[in-house]
Amino acid sequence: MSETLILSFIIFLPAVVAFILMLTTTKIEDVRNIAFVTTIITLILVMKIYLNFEPKGEMQFVTNIEWISKFGINYYIGIDGFSLTILMLIAILIPTSYLLLWEGRTKGYWLNMLLIQTGVTGTLLSLDIILFYFFWETMLLPIFLIIGIYGSGNKVFSTIKVTIYTMGGSLLMFVAIVYLGVAFFNEFGHWSFKYDDLTTLTTLGDTEKLYLFFAFFTAFMIKIPIFPFHTWITGTYSDAPTGAVFLLSSIMAKLGVYAVVRFMIPIFPDTFVGFSDYFVFIGVFGLIYFGIAALMQDDIKKMFAYSSASHLSLIAAGVFSLNSYGINGALYLIIAHAIATGGLFLLIGILHYQTGFKTIKDLGGIAKKAPIFTFMFAIMLFSNIGLPGTNGFVSELLIIFGIYEFNHTMGYISAVTVLVAASFMLWMFQRAILQERVGEPLPMKDLKLKEIVALTPWVILIFVMGIYPDPFIDKFEPTVTYYINNFLQTGALK
Amino acid sequence: MIEELIYLMPIITVLVGAIVLMFQSMYDRYEIKDFITVSSLFLIVALGFSIYHSGDLFTSKPFNDIFNNAIVFDTFANFFNIALLTGALLIILIGENYAKQQSYTKGEFYSILLFSVFGMMLLAHANELITAYIALEIASFAVYILIGFDTNNAKRVESVFKYLVLGSFIGAFFLLGTVLIYGATGTTNIAEVANFISVNSSDKLLLVYIGITMIMFTFLFKIATFPFQSWVVDVYRGSPILVTAFMASVFKIAIFSFFLRAILTDFITLEGYWESVLIVLTLVTLAIGSWLAITQNIIKKMLAGSSIVHTGYMMLGIIALGENIESAYSIMFYLIAYLLSALGAFGLVSHVIADTKVRVTYDDFKGLGQERPYLAALMTIFMFSLAGIPSTIGFIAKFYIFTEAINAGYWGMAIFAIFATAISIYYYFKLIAMMYFYPSFADKDVEQQSDVRISTFMIGLVALLIVWGGIGSAIGFFFPIPSIDAILSVVELSVQSLFLK
Repeated sequence: MSETLILSFIIFLPAVVAFILMLTTTKIEDVRNIAFVTTIITLILVMKIYLNFEPKGEMQFVTNIEWISKFGINYYIGIDGFSLTILMLIAILIPTSYLLLWEGRTKGYWLNMLLIQTGVTGTLLSLDIILFYFFWETMLLPIFLIIGIYGSGNKVFSTIKVTIYTMGGSLLMFVAIVYLGVAFFNEFGHWSFKYDDLTTLTTLGDTEKLYLFFAFFTAFMIKIPIFPFHTWITGTYSDAPTGAVFLLSSIMAKLGVYAVVRFMIPIFPDTFVGFSDYFVFIGVFGLIYFGIAALMQDDIKKMFAYSSASHLSLIAAGVFSLNSYGINGALYLIIAHAIATGGLFLLIGILHYQTGFKTIKDLGGIAKKAPIFTFMFAIMLFSNIGLPGTNGFVSELLIIFGIYEFNHTMGYISAVTVLVAASFMLWMFQRAILQERVGEPLPMKDLKLKEIVALTPWVILIFVMGIYPDPFIDKFEPTVTYYINNFLQTGALK
Repeated sequence: MIEELIYLMPIITVLVGAIVLMFQSMYDRYEIKDFITVSSLFLIVALGFSIYHSGDLFTSKPFNDIFNNAIVFDTFANFFNIALLTGALLIILIGENYAKQQSYTKGEFYSILLFSVFGMMLLAHANELITAYIALEIASFAVYILIGFDTNNAKRVESVFKYLVLGSFIGAFFLLGTVLIYGATGTTNIAEVANFISVNSSDKLLLVYIGITMIMFTFLFKIATFPFQSWVVDVYRGSPILVTAFMASVFKIAIFSFFLRAILTDFITLEGYWESVLIVLTLVTLAIGSWLAITQNIIKKMLAGSSIVHTGYMMLGIIALGENIESAYSIMFYLIAYLLSALGAFGLVSHVIADTKVRVTYDDFKGLGQERPYLAALMTIFMFSLAGIPSTIGFIAKFYIFTEAINAGYWGMAIFAIFATAISIYYYFKLIAMMYFYPSFADKDVEQQSDVRISTFMIGLVALLIVWGGIGSAIGFFFPIPSIDAILSVVELSVQSLFLK
């Protein structure tokens, strides 16, 4: 396969397979197996790209074809160290998560999972900002359906809420995108929505930039979520089915951070630098606020929702700290957190499916009945907390260095607060898993071989990335340096 | 001579078709499906004649000795003819199932429908105010009759009278405006009025101003903007759903065909005079439309409310016309996008109503996703397109209209319209939620309906067009298919043809 087509193939393969499967009615087992094979094929292709990728700052594997020529909207995709890392992450996490979701799903569930993969990959790889918006919005639709159809509890309300919340934010961004395009047209006389073209805009005034910056940032803050745009998460995470929660927390939330780096830093470098103080503060505040909120939860899914938000605030703080430590750490935490949280949500899904409970007070005595489950759970938990030896430790350390370099006080605060995460996680672990249950024991079976196989690569990654991070950081470090040299320093000068 | 006759062919074909159908309906032995066949055949032939010219840039006044500048044939009118004919054809074909199931649809229904299309096509060709008035009344009167066709509907009398009385009343304004303009300029030909406006200073234009305002009233009434929107919900509710679809999509296009021509050639120079009023009207239209759509429990009424909101978006384009003429393209593109989305949505509702006779409210749609997954999937596409979600033509149309509005400097209005869009997600997605997230009623008539019929194929075709319009040449990158750039260039040609001398 030629180099230019391979990325498009990775993006559209799952969607095409999903449409074919939708039209040809087959058994649920067949649908699932074909979906699984599709994700494995995607993984192999991504591996190929990962190995062929040269560690440098510029875009590679670029495809640029006219889509709507009148407005200069192009089908413009490419990959750099930053998106490569997340692409690799998506490609590994999705097939393995299929193994954990293996039983008891319906055809529509698998089709939606495939469509989501197309959505997230497309969002990740598009470099034309309209194309980005296109995927950004479309990836929400299967999520909407999957939560609404297969969710539990007050699912319809949660679904409508999350949809209107995120789409409202996106629409604001849409106006900003169009405004940028119009500004570009007025300055250069032709239309373009390529992100690298938009960075060359010079006519925007400071106030204009401020409005545009916030229009973009609102959309991303909602998706990530950053305080105070987080109110959709608890309902959604607790009512959504496991697969959707997994995708929302470990992949989609990260795309929000990714989009900040991909589009906002290059287009508004000076505004970004100018507001970094506030956003590091909001990030650190979110870290504390969501940490405390997580401490209060009895529903484990809700607790992880808050803990996830807490970590994402830390990631955001890292991105806004404007230095190599912070941004590299943020990227590393994106991976680490995706693996750990993804794993935890899937394990909780299994726990909930088997015992029928997801509240701490009803659970207990799991460790005795399911030792392998407990072992896996513990590893994911430790990575999430950031215990030395796991990848969580490396990334949190880097971010805290970054924040410290940015502002000493913030650095101290964030270092201390990371402990809060440890406290609620371990407390929950003790009460829900280790401690004996009052009343009769729960009907809990241990993990099956398939599930152990699925989780093994995650566990290996957690430790390899924790002990020897260099090969991973080497892939994206040049991109981060490129960003800092080309955008942030020019931004700081203004 | 022959060339001129070919220009006239589409409109003649439709007129002949209407008359043939009228005679045909006198005989008892013809069934509904014969009328559907005949009427669609005539429309297809007319469409063929129109498409024959679609790529050219031309303007012509055939048989000018007879018509004396009253009608003009150009790419602009041709574009609207194609849209009108396609819309009418789709309505007849999508409504096949519905028409067969209802007792009241008879041959006359199709005859009157074609008369109405004839009036609309004439409106698209009208180059003169009196002709436009006559054409508008031909179309309107046909629609008044169509509204009252549903003898089983208790609301029909209210609907007919509301629309008839208000419509005639507002028609009088059009005439009054025409008279005033004639009084000031001595002509009713819109090109000559434009000349008069350009050579005279503003103190001589007072009567023209008033006249144009009167004519704009008619325009605003027919497309249902604030403060002329109050008839929409009741009239849409009381009429047969096919007629509702016809009014919401095809009729609206016809109205735009003439008024866009009038605005572009004439009134554009006076834009500043009513700009601020239009801004207020647009904002209120968006707000009221959203409110109406949210509060409805009946799908038809919700679609009626949403059609007001869509009118609001198009008004955004009309306002932007004052700054750059290119926003006319965006309005025309939006009309096409809305035609497809609304026809699909109304058509699908009509198809489902015809079978089960109960699916009228949101609740009645519960469980459709399980019972008839393909129909539910198509409905989802239409809702996405109406809401302007990417990958549908509705998104491209919104993008287009917002770009023009922001380019013209109305970014504040664009933000307001975006809020209306955010609200619209609620009422469109609510229907999707009903179809997929709830189990169906146990006591519902579960008799299996055959979905393999012309109605469903046409609905599927519309959905396909919507997705094609949304993705366009993004697929063309793997397979060579025409992209939506093709529509855009046709639209541009059409507007250019207005300024050919």
